[in-house]
Amino acid sequence: MSARSALTLGVALAIAVLAVAPAGAAPAGEVKIGLAAEPNTFDPHLTVGRNTQIFIVNVYDGLTARDAQGNLVPALAESWKRLNPTTWQFVLRKGVKFHNGDDFNAESVKFTLDRATNPETKATISSELGTIASTEIVDPYTVNVITKTPDFLLPVRLGELFGLMLSPKHTNAVGKEAIATRPNGTGPFKLVSWTKNEQMVLEANESYWRGAPKVKKIIVRPILEDAARIAALQAGEVDLITPIPYARIAELKRNDKLVIKTVAAPRVFHVTIDVRKPPFDNVKVRQALNYGVDVNAIVKSLYFGYGTRLATVVDRGGLGYDPGVQPYPFDPTKAKALLAEAGFPNGFETEFDSFTGSIADHAKPAEAIVGYLQKIGVKAKQNVFEFAAFGPRRVQNKTAPLFIYSIGDAYLEPSWVIRWLTQGGLGMHYKNPKLDEMLTRIEATDDRAKRAPQYSDVQKLIKDEAPFIFLFQADAVFGMSTRIDYAPRPDETQWLYPLGLRG
Amino acid sequence: MRAYVAARLATALLVVLGVSAVSFVLTFLTGDPAEIMLPPGATAVQIAKFRAEWGFDDPLPVQYWRFLRRAVQGDFGISLRHGQSSLPLIAARLPATFQLTVTAMLLAIVLAVPLGVLAATHRGGTIDLFAMGVALFGQSVPNFWLAIMMILLFAVSWGVLPTSGRGGWAHVVMPAAAIAINLAALLTRLVRTAVIEVLAEDYVRTARSKGLRELFVLGRHAVPNALIPLVTVIGLQFGYILGGAVVIETIFTWPGVGLFTIQAILNRDYPVVQASVFILATAVVLINLVVDLLYVWLDPRVRLT
Repeated sequence: MSARSALTLGVALAIAVLAVAPAGAAPAGEVKIGLAAEPNTFDPHLTVGRNTQIFIVNVYDGLTARDAQGNLVPALAESWKRLNPTTWQFVLRKGVKFHNGDDFNAESVKFTLDRATNPETKATISSELGTIASTEIVDPYTVNVITKTPDFLLPVRLGELFGLMLSPKHTNAVGKEAIATRPNGTGPFKLVSWTKNEQMVLEANESYWRGAPKVKKIIVRPILEDAARIAALQAGEVDLITPIPYARIAELKRNDKLVIKTVAAPRVFHVTIDVRKPPFDNVKVRQALNYGVDVNAIVKSLYFGYGTRLATVVDRGGLGYDPGVQPYPFDPTKAKALLAEAGFPNGFETEFDSFTGSIADHAKPAEAIVGYLQKIGVKAKQNVFEFAAFGPRRVQNKTAPLFIYSIGDAYLEPSWVIRWLTQGGLGMHYKNPKLDEMLTRIEATDDRAKRAPQYSDVQKLIKDEAPFIFLFQADAVFGMSTRIDYAPRPDETQWLYPLGLRG
Repeated sequence: MRAYVAARLATALLVVLGVSAVSFVLTFLTGDPAEIMLPPGATAVQIAKFRAEWGFDDPLPVQYWRFLRRAVQGDFGISLRHGQSSLPLIAARLPATFQLTVTAMLLAIVLAVPLGVLAATHRGGTIDLFAMGVALFGQSVPNFWLAIMMILLFAVSWGVLPTSGRGGWAHVVMPAAAIAINLAALLTRLVRTAVIEVLAEDYVRTARSKGLRELFVLGRHAVPNALIPLVTVIGLQFGYILGGAVVIETIFTWPGVGLFTIQAILNRDYPVVQASVFILATAVVLINLVVDLLYVWLDPRVRLT
């Protein structure tokens, strides 16, 4: 081989290597997706419902993001640190551009957060960003976010759910109504067109700062009816669908043209116990309720096994989830013994609230739980409400001593969930100074790695105190054709950037 | 005639007003959308703040007055979910619903008339038995079940029709058929009865005794007269068709008013619900009026007083 041909070969090899590197591969192909619900808007401050919040991130970026395992990673911010208890400093990524070519910088961050917290915006997500007092530009690529009270969760809040960044110029130019359908983000996909209730077309942002996405075009169709959505996948009209009823999974798994993937969703089901009302002020009674319900059987029969029994209200994906804290075993004899010890050998009568018409089915598990309670002598009368009617009942603190509910652990942070569950309102009245102190200590720890182990004691304490009947988290189910490659994320985010075509 | 139309329009207005008042009270009774609109972590304080901002904590009469004052100007408020004015949002979905319901209605007529006439002329025979069997099936089968069975058969197994959505004419076939089936069954029975009755009339006997061919007797004398009552029934059935469209549009994700209304109800998007109730009530009332006028034109024996 001559020197020249060797050089040619070398160059050719180098080109070949470059060609397979992700940054160099041009997006190609088309993928169609069928979803049960489409976003209500692309205005990140007026999103309603999780279905919107977990989707529009495909067009935008937050300051932070999560990786496939759910760990917090840098996005539009390269790094962040707490300067003092109420000041977070974010150092921004340089060279990032919005879809229309506008530069992303500190001004974008200030504009976005000012807009989110301005009462005139009537932001639906204001409850999530309520701690922010002001945003200050330090230099073009550094901002300080000042909070009213110390907020250890701020970097997570300013992530993919509630920290999506807007371009000031574009947002002011198109106006408040049009931003809903004409977003201009920095994200991996651009919104090309959107006819509500019909279809949405996304196109790859080839100059995305993480590198261009693999798929060139994504068409999203809302298909509301479960049977029609599954049919569309079976007929090859779409390549990816979610959700799928648990009862259909076995049948679809037998189809070798399809792949069914499940992932534990961070929605924590539980029964809230009104600890203020006797006999529920007695911990033995509360523990008895936990021994008396066969949660594994409920997961097996109602969820066809696609769920995870939880020992507490901390979900498996939550930071510091401790598998060492074992769930209460199903032991009706022990439950009866505990009730007898508490002075109720013949049980007692009470009421149990449940509801229909929310994002997930709560009425059926409630019915099963009431049945189990009956067997240990707790005669609970089940009330079933329409979800919208149950809401005011909670707001006015008129809930029954027992009620079923579920909370999505949006931040994968147990402290956030537990604070909400012990807020002293909405029917939730458990208070414990020791728990409070533990959480306060955790919240002062910015380092996630140091925070995680501290949650073990929290989980032990909550389990022993049993202010809830601990239930389960159910799986999210995705169906896909064999031509695509997609791994659903554990935090429910429908992140399409890594989506690819096989072969 | 003119006085009649004016009086009917005045009643129509009252009906529409009444319907929207009832729907307003009903939506008020089901609670407010605060909890559905806010993220799951919202606390009691934040929910209260939201309700105050949107005026959901005002007493019912105050809210209704506010609604009425805007509604008379055609303003049903901004959709809580879409952030856009509700009435245009609904209006934009009318063509899809119109396409679906009119196709369904035509399909029902095209199926029912020949079947009903054949059944009447072959009364008691095999054809009659078959037609009545079809009618019995059509009237008793739930249309949502039929819709899903059709999807499995035509879209999944045979792959000849699209599963859902709106696009070309192939998309409209299954949803229209699912809506049409109940109406077709009803109309078949009706046509059969009407034709049997007309065939016993004196003028038919006269026509036959003149030696006219049976086909001519049917086509010229019997069927046209038998079809007159059909017009009334079709008009009255329009409301039911719209009701059926709500279910069928949801199953097929057909982007019409029905689907949009169901979503608005589930999301407690009350401005949209109100606008939709207003538009649907108006449509039903107007179509009934048109049918009544049509009746006069078709049957000169009927006079309006």
